[in-house]
Amino acid sequence: MLTWPSMEPTRLHTEVLVIGGGVAGCLAAIQARDAGADVLVADKARFLERAGSVAGGVDQFMTPLNDGPDWDTPEHLMQFVPMLTDGLTDLDVAERAVHELPRVFQRLCDIGIDFTDPTTGEFFRTRAFGLPGEYHLNFDGSLFKHRLGRYTVGHGARFLPRTMITDLLTDATGQRIAGAVGFNCRTGERDAIRATAVVVATGDINRISRNVSGLPFDSWHYPYNTGDGHAMVYRRGARLVNMELVEATLTPLGFSTQGTNSYAGQGAHFLNRHGERFMFKYDPKGEKARRTILVNAVIEEVLAGNEPIYVDIRHLPEDTKDDFVRTLGVDRYTLPSYFRQRGLDIRHELLPIGISEMSIRRGGSYFRGSGLVVDTAAESNLTGLFGAGDCSMVSGGISVAAAMGAIAGRGAVDRVRSTETEPEPDDDSVTDSLGRMAEPLEVEEEDGGGWSDLEDAVRDLVTDYVGMRRTERGLRRAHEGLLDLKQQEALLRATSFHELMRSLEAKNIRLAAELMTVAAAHRTESRSGAAHRRLDHPATDDAVWRKAIVLSHDPATGVDVEYLVERPTPVPASTGGDA
Amino acid sequence: MSGAQGHNPIAINPDTCITCMICDYVCPGDVIHQKPRSKELPVIAYPDECWYCGLCEQACPADAITVVFPQEMLDPTTPVTSLLGRDPERRT
Repeated sequence: MLTWPSMEPTRLHTEVLVIGGGVAGCLAAIQARDAGADVLVADKARFLERAGSVAGGVDQFMTPLNDGPDWDTPEHLMQFVPMLTDGLTDLDVAERAVHELPRVFQRLCDIGIDFTDPTTGEFFRTRAFGLPGEYHLNFDGSLFKHRLGRYTVGHGARFLPRTMITDLLTDATGQRIAGAVGFNCRTGERDAIRATAVVVATGDINRISRNVSGLPFDSWHYPYNTGDGHAMVYRRGARLVNMELVEATLTPLGFSTQGTNSYAGQGAHFLNRHGERFMFKYDPKGEKARRTILVNAVIEEVLAGNEPIYVDIRHLPEDTKDDFVRTLGVDRYTLPSYFRQRGLDIRHELLPIGISEMSIRRGGSYFRGSGLVVDTAAESNLTGLFGAGDCSMVSGGISVAAAMGAIAGRGAVDRVRSTETEPEPDDDSVTDSLGRMAEPLEVEEEDGGGWSDLEDAVRDLVTDYVGMRRTERGLRRAHEGLLDLKQQEALLRATSFHELMRSLEAKNIRLAAELMTVAAAHRTESRSGAAHRRLDHPATDDAVWRKAIVLSHDPATGVDVEYLVERPTPVPASTGGDA
Repeated sequence: MSGAQGHNPIAINPDTCITCMICDYVCPGDVIHQKPRSKELPVIAYPDECWYCGLCEQACPADAITVVFPQEMLDPTTPVTSLLGRDPERRT
């Protein structure tokens, strides 16, 4: 049996602990350091420069700049936000994030991130996602995360590398967060970290459904984001919202990558097996329709037996094709080499596309999120617990992650400053957390399957019954299956610290699937296109269901359900759509 | 279990690799393991857990790494319909 390298975990101490070193986590750390707080960032990656889902690069940042045009203000953008969120967010928090965008953008510029177009030296701003203005800056962000991570460490944040945080610690009341525990996935060194405020910024949830290649780590989004934060906050009684929303995208058939929907914006045609440009059946704008409409249309075509579906760029002018091919690697560095190895020349051949696996993120719309419910200071119902980025209630790419991260960092410092007596981790919470961490090491024989078998079983249930087409019967069957799998968790055995990390991730994925199933069964309507589609309740029912479902753990009854209702929105005098 | 059985996603050229540790450091999945201060080539310890992101290929200072896609990705055979849910009444 594998044993820990030391009998006791290393005791660490900080004012602000940030769990997850992606964009949200780095901004939280920077803001907290600006205020002079002692900050520790933990991440599963080896270096903060390479931590998080955009470590390989990113190409857009969305913000108003207050630069002249009517549309270029947070107020104008905010008028449009309720049309995106579909009744499923807290608009006070979303508004706080919108107003933070230009401020955090300036902060990023100040630390040396260059958002200008290298060819002109100016900002290159575009209109995207149907927003009422040119809020998206296209930039070369191949080193964005590298610079951000380096700055964060240079700014005085300490970094705990290759560390999976597994549980939060509370004080004796159970209502005050007091730190967290984790371990190094290479060495097995354990840390028990005492902190006055904790920011959870662990990203979205992936590896939760099947895809075309059948390889679970071939995922559109970062496969190492597995709902670790969702699981740890839920276990301590924090509230999770919008867990039923799924997000999938169009992707080259065989390699789950983002960006395929943007081909439409560049003039590509979408064809079905009959050579028909089918998009006009679904939207008068054809291929220029919004992404959710594109995804829905492809699903409908597949269900109608019109698979394979293709992207066609053969008709485009040569220089447009050049641009197209040149920018393929921006979203995913390896995509050009994938096409080469496949022998596919998309200038002259059709590109077969499909639907990616699903993630739990925000159901495809900005300014809402699937995760920790937070207030306008990014604090949750547990004092001292903050959330930002894709694991929290208001998310939206790197921009909103940065904005909410900054808000969480400031909120955490305010909490530290207003705390008279530093919270003391309760012995029971430490024992319970370390015990849970060690479970897979204590299983002596391989009775059940390994973590990947457990994950495969979760993915089958989610794909078949909780994904794109939901019914009460299917959801019930999935729920029973997921509870059965919970029994098998106790048999998971880890023989290395790497395997321990994967085993604990697999448990978190199973829990996320269970919560997704509970919320999806509860919502007896369909909402937000492919994000929640009930075959037995196909209509959207605003009278009853224009509200978000909030789940929390009740030790007595299991999953407790509440609702969060968006504040009413005055109808804007102008939609701003023509700006 | 799932995974491209026996497939090595990260080909390292033994003639050009300088065993510098960078691929080990940048891999987001803890997939590549290189012993510190060793002349042994990096080991692809968990090939089934590769994201095919190419951070290693991009960061390699000796240009010694090529990401190699498996047959499951280059020539996928799974119909997309099988990913879109099934009838819970039908037992298999």
